[in-house]
Parts: sequence; C-alpha cells; structure tokens
Amino acid sequence: MAEPKAAAGKPPAAASSSALPRWVRPLARQVASVVVTLLGLMALAFFIGRMLPLDPVIAIVGEQAEKETYDMVYRQLGLDKPLWQQFLFFIRDMLSGDFGNALFTGNRVADDLKRVFPATIELATFAIMIGVGIGVPVGVLAAVYRDSPLDHSARFIGLLGYSSPTFWLGLMGLIVFYAWLGWVGGPGRLDVIYIDMVEPVTGMLTIDALMVGEYDVFWDALSHLILPGTILGYSSMAYISRMTRSFMLEQLSQEYITAARVKGQSKWRVVWRHAFRNILVQLITVIALAYAFLLEGAVLTETVFAWPGFGRYLTSGILAGDMNAVLACVLIIGVIFVALNLLSDLLYRMLDPRTK
Amino acid sequence: MLPTVRAALAATLLAGAAAISPQAQAATPRDALVMAWNLDALITFDPAQIAEVNGNDIIRNVCEPLVNYDLRDVSRMAPGTAESWSVSEDGMTLTFKLNANLKFPNGRTATAHDAVWSMHRVVALGYGNSANFTQWGFTRDKIEQQITAADDRTIVVKMDRPYPVQLILSAMFASGSTGILDSEIGKREAKTVDGRYDWANPFFKTNPVCVGHYRVTRWNTNEVVILERNDNYHGEKAKLRRIIIRHVPESAAQRLLLEKGDIDVARLLNTDDLRALSRNPNVSVTTTTMHGYSYLAFNAQDPIFSNPKVRQAFRWMIDYQGLGSTVLEYQGTPRASLVPLGAFGALDEKEGQPFKLDLERAKALLAEAGFPNGFTKKFIHSANNISPQVAQHVQANAAKIGVRLELEQMADAQLFTRARAREFEVLLIGWGAGYPDADSMISRHAVNPDNRPEARLAQYPSWRSSWQDAKINEMADAARMERDPAKRIAMYHEIQKYMMENGPMAYIFQTVRPIAVRKEIKGFMMTPFDVDYATASK
Repeated sequence: MAEPKAAAGKPPAAASSSALPRWVRPLARQVASVVVTLLGLMALAFFIGRMLPLDPVIAIVGEQAEKETYDMVYRQLGLDKPLWQQFLFFIRDMLSGDFGNALFTGNRVADDLKRVFPATIELATFAIMIGVGIGVPVGVLAAVYRDSPLDHSARFIGLLGYSSPTFWLGLMGLIVFYAWLGWVGGPGRLDVIYIDMVEPVTGMLTIDALMVGEYDVFWDALSHLILPGTILGYSSMAYISRMTRSFMLEQLSQEYITAARVKGQSKWRVVWRHAFRNILVQLITVIALAYAFLLEGAVLTETVFAWPGFGRYLTSGILAGDMNAVLACVLIIGVIFVALNLLSDLLYRMLDPRTK
Repeated sequence: MLPTVRAALAATLLAGAAAISPQAQAATPRDALVMAWNLDALITFDPAQIAEVNGNDIIRNVCEPLVNYDLRDVSRMAPGTAESWSVSEDGMTLTFKLNANLKFPNGRTATAHDAVWSMHRVVALGYGNSANFTQWGFTRDKIEQQITAADDRTIVVKMDRPYPVQLILSAMFASGSTGILDSEIGKREAKTVDGRYDWANPFFKTNPVCVGHYRVTRWNTNEVVILERNDNYHGEKAKLRRIIIRHVPESAAQRLLLEKGDIDVARLLNTDDLRALSRNPNVSVTTTTMHGYSYLAFNAQDPIFSNPKVRQAFRWMIDYQGLGSTVLEYQGTPRASLVPLGAFGALDEKEGQPFKLDLERAKALLAEAGFPNGFTKKFIHSANNISPQVAQHVQANAAKIGVRLELEQMADAQLFTRARAREFEVLLIGWGAGYPDADSMISRHAVNPDNRPEARLAQYPSWRSSWQDAKINEMADAARMERDPAKRIAMYHEIQKYMMENGPMAYIFQTVRPIAVRKEIKGFMMTPFDVDYATASK
C-alpha cells in the first residue's frame, strides 16, 4: 500500500525544481489521484464484502461439510487473520499481478477474467457501435426538426428503449428472431458444432474467427452477437440520442448559428460543421460513460442469452461471497471508469480550443 | 428483478410463443447429446472434492464407482468397476474383485492399486467427501492399513465394526468417491505445497483421468463442458460419442433452445415452462422423485420452539394436499417422514404422510403448549425456485391461528451460513440424502452426537436445530448395526414415527427432478442417484 503512494508522492516534489517540463506536475497529481481512488475503491469493496453475511467457505466445501473440512479451508483462505491483514495481503498479491483463486469457479481469477471480459467487450463494443451509429444522427435530426413527427417518434422509440427491461426485450427478441423467424442464433456465443473450432487469441470470437479465416465460425458468432448486442445497443442508443438532441438544441439556439445562416451557409453545413462540432466534447463524455456502463456487464442480458460475461461473473462472485473475484472485478471497473475519464479529458483538451 | 416477477414475466411472454411454428428445425449433431443446465456451482471434477449436484451427475459418467445402484431399484446393488464382492464370516472384512478389463481412457490398465490410491486420497485430502469414509470408521491415520490392494485385482477393506453389507455398499462403495483415478499420472502431477501433499488435486480438478464411460475433454467455466466417449471402456460402450453440457441459466432460454432443437435435454426448467413443454409433441417431460427434502427447521434453543407441541402444531398447519396440487407441480411430492420414499427402510406413502391441514388441531396443540394466542417469529428462506411460495403458504396458514411469521428472503449462501451457525428461529431449507438407505437421513437429521455449541457439528441438521435425543441416538446406532434386513426396516419405521412426533423438523416435500427431453432421444436413464448418459442414443 505504501509503495504506490510513495512513488506518486515523489514527482510533485521533484517538479518544483525548474529542470522538469511543465506537464510533469499535473500528470503526477493525476496519477496520485488515480491510485488513491482505486485503493479507496478496493478498500471499500473489501470491507463491505467482508461484512456481508455470506460465508465463502461454504461455496467451496459444500453445505453439508464437517467442521474439520470447514476449518481447513477457512485457514487456507486466510480468514482466520484480522481483516486489515487480509486486505494488505490482497493488495500485496495484487501488485504482483496475482488475484488469487476464484472460489466459485475454482480457477485463477486472472484466467477467469481473460475469459469473461473479452466476451463482454465484444458485446459492449457491438452495442456502443449501434448506440452511437444510430443514436447520434437521430439525436441531431430530432433537434433540427424539433417538435416534428420525426422528433416525437424518436422520443417515443427512445423512451421505449430506455425504459423497457432488457430482460423482457431479450426474451421477446429470442422468441421472435430466434424461435419464430430463425434469423439469429439462440442463447450462447456459438452453436455447439462450432465450439472450440477457433483457439481464443483475443477472446472475442468474431475477431478470433476472422484472424484465422474461419468464416463459418465468424458468421455463427455474429448471429449470436446481433440480438443481445442490439438490445443493449438500443438502450444506450436511447440515452445517446436524447443527450445529443438536448446538446444540439442548446447550440442551435445560439447567435453564431443565426450568424452563420445569415452569411448564407447551407443548413446542413451549419448543423454539422458548426453546431455539431461544438457538442463533440460533451458528447464524447456521454459516449464514454455509456460504454463504461456497458463494459461493467449487463447481468440480465447475459443471463437470458447465456452469455458468459463479466456481469454474471461479478454477480455470481458476490452471491458466493468470493472476495478475490469481486475485488478483481471492482478494480477493473474502477480502471475502466478512470481510463475513460482520462481519455475524455484528453479529447476535451484536443477538441476544445479554449483549453489550449 | 425478483426471480418470481421475472418468472411470471417469462411465463406470460412464452404463453404467446406456444403458438409458434418453428421454421426449419435446427438439429444437434447426430453423435452427440446436448444438454442445457445451470453450471454455476461447478467448481471441480476431482471426485474427492465434488460437493454439488451437477458435478456429481457428471462425474458418475466419468468415474465409475466400485459398485452401482441398480437402475431399476436403487436399494439394490449392481457391479461397477468391481465385478464381485464378499464379506468375511465375522462381517469385518470386505473383499472386492475388480473387473479384469478396466482401462483408463489413455489405454493404461487400471488396477486395485489405482483404486486403493484413489480412495486413500479422498480421506487424506479431507474435503466433504471424506465423510463417505470417515463416518464408517476410516481415518486419515489408518486408511492405508484399512483399505489395501492384495493383488492387481483384489481390494481388501478392514472395517471397525460389522456393518450390514447392503448399507456399507450403498453408503460408501457406490459413492462417486470410489472412482478409480490413474495413480501413475496422479503421483507424477502431485506436488507438496506449504508442507502439504496435494494428491494432484489441482490437476484432477480439470482432468479427472478415471475409469468410466466418458472423459472430460473441455470445461470452459460457466459456458460448456464436453465429454468424449472412452473407447477403452470395459463394458458396453457408450452409444453417443460426445456429451455437450451448455450453461444456460435461464429457464425460458432453455425452453426455446429445446423447442427449436438446438439442445436435446433441458434440465433446469420452471413449472410454467414445463407445463408448456408437456404439450409439445416433440418433447417429453419426465420427473424423478429424488432423495431430498424441503423442510422447516425449528431452533430448539428458542423457548417456544423447544416445546415439541409447538413443532407438532406446525405439522398441522401445512396444507400438504393443497401444496401438492398447486405449487409442487413438477417440484415435489408431499411427505412428512424424514426417510424418503424409495430408500431402504422408508415408511410407505400413507404412513409417511399422516398429516393434513387441520388448524383446529394446531390451535389446540398451541394452547396445550401454553400459547393460546400464538406468537411472533422470524422465518428465513431462500429466494430460489418455489421456496418463497412455500414460505408464504406456511405464513398464511399460521396467521389464521395467531402465529405471526415474519418472512425474510435471502441468497442460498446466506441461508446456509445462518443455518450452520444456529442463527435462526425457523427456516425453510433443503437437504439431499447421500445414499438410498434410511441411515442416510437418520444419521444426520435425527442423530446428534454432541449438542454443545462448541462442537460445531454443522453437518448435522439436528445440531443446527440444537436438538438432541439420547433415545434416538441409541436406536439409530442399533439399526445401523442390525444385519437382519427385516429387523433393520422395523427399527427404521419406529424411528421415523418417533421423529414425526418429536423431531425438530417439519418435512414438507420430497424434491422432484423434472427434465425435458426431445423425443428423438432414446434410453436416457435417470434414477435419484444417477443420470446415465451412456445409454442415451438418437
């Protein structure tokens, strides 16, 4: 615990000497705040987790186990040590890249994450592509044609997507497009005949299949991805389009827009080149957040679609009282949010001339 | 979302889907059986360690025990890897003769030395399954003298007491813990970690190299398990080459996959989906009555529940018949005796279920116990499956005679923790018997060797309920040692009747395992203790 703090503490002190470039100090502050945030997050998750009335030993030994077995595993897990010591051990192991074993799967947490996280990235990325690809243009059009039938129907469809439970949409989608029409694959990531035909490299089946030219596997993986991806994409599309619309409305009412129009520029040029450009910064933050939420995993969607992803992994970990798995997941979620935050900060600096 | 709400939602939705006429039927591969299941709890394939239903189901097809239950009658014994067995005159020595053609999937001949090594490791590792041995007097210190190999095909077992052969075979030698692992591989892969010999547990966890119909070739956690046929199997070989078990945690999704023909067998279905599937001409729905229970446990530490009359009153508050015809459809068979129907020594259907809803009688019993106006108690139960419905049912009846039960619903892991720590007043929980003999339930639910809190005998539900009865302890031990089957049965009957009067539990129903199989699958055999994948064909 002491190590990263010390490392983070050094640069600001050194930065006071004029030999270092100007960017060192803010960067060091940034890094220090990230480390402290993540540590705080882990500590919080750890202590809340340990206070839950769930016994991780039972997940391993079974509910009917005897005292001797129970005690043996209890000691193996280090649960006989004081809480703070358990936490320190955890942080120490974590710093050397070891998250320990997940009790409820029996595997190393790192191996589990290598498996479940790509499944979620694949799904989340597909979903965000739909969310952005449809949500942004729809939002812009809704703002330009404010109060027109187009705006109203966009609002209606958006609200529907935002407020329908994904579980319900998922089942509906399966009934119609899988069972009834047969257009898409059913629950799971692949049909059984394709399981194990492609060695995992990235863990994202569509990409792995393309890399080795297994097009049948690619199409099958895609047909399983489309439905859950679209359903998740639908709800983030709803959010993105609503936000785009309100950002655009704000810009379109500004005087510079009127000025540009008066100068004789075409309507669409004004919309895209002037107004849209100015909302990019805000929009990127919205998209980054939407993507982060998708990467956290969508438990219900993953359940309905038997998608072995991050959300279900985390939920199962919590229900089994498995702190190794839960803490690793919390760390990943923390890192995702911090990273996307930094990224949108960076883009903000690049795109907003005032920050230059 | 609450599971019940979710289930209701799914049911409404799928009701509409019943009319669907599927397009071109998908089909599973001809030489494979595809099952859908919830594999959440599966954490190991090491037969010494497996402690949950799914793992047991699979491992029995991968690791054959020394003896098998008879598929038609689980209280009888059939050969497994041992082709015959005999017992000495004094009943203290059991000798097994192994089948001469036993082979591991890698082609190596399996011998009595492998078998003995595999059993030693179960006891030495000390996971929950070691109780299969330790409760019959085998200990970690002496196991290497107690179970030995006389030659390549002969196993000699020295017992501490002359148990009835039928009982010891059923309880110990038919358990998955007697599967034969390849000891050559095991010794090579074993390591000593922190001064502890691991008996290759990390290796066998994912690669149980064992004598059985199938071998595990793939296990992607929470995604899929694939078994391949062992072509070196000593008996009739499995009909299908591959068994594919897919993790599909949602009942509605399993149903769609089954209707569409993308899976052959669905093993985790809720009542609504089962009801709908039973009308589907391409699917057959069957049920197996398991040797497991859902029951109310009362904490006898509580001043009110320490009174047997109060516990008795609860048995008259359960509408066994009403539950049986509604909530328990495809889920359970009402039964009040602690020995499940189908087990050796069980009371028959009628004698084992003498109760019915009789609130007058319950009220009178409460008055006799000194609580004419009832009382208020906390009632904890699982959020899973039909537990909430059963709990609400009990709550509603109890309320009619002034007993106010405050329900608290929780995750299974939490419920087990509370039960094992004696932290409850009344709870609804489940239990599965380990073998089809009255001894299995009685030795855990009626017997309590040491009621002190510090004994921490949480593997005994009787201890969890802080209930001990010296008379029952004696009766159960006498029955366990009785070598005349007729006498043993009579003794078990007496214990069951006594427990229905005095015990700390009110058994509600024996669990039922429903399963939906596509019609083109033939010979899929199920018993309460085995699901035989090898006999299935297309």
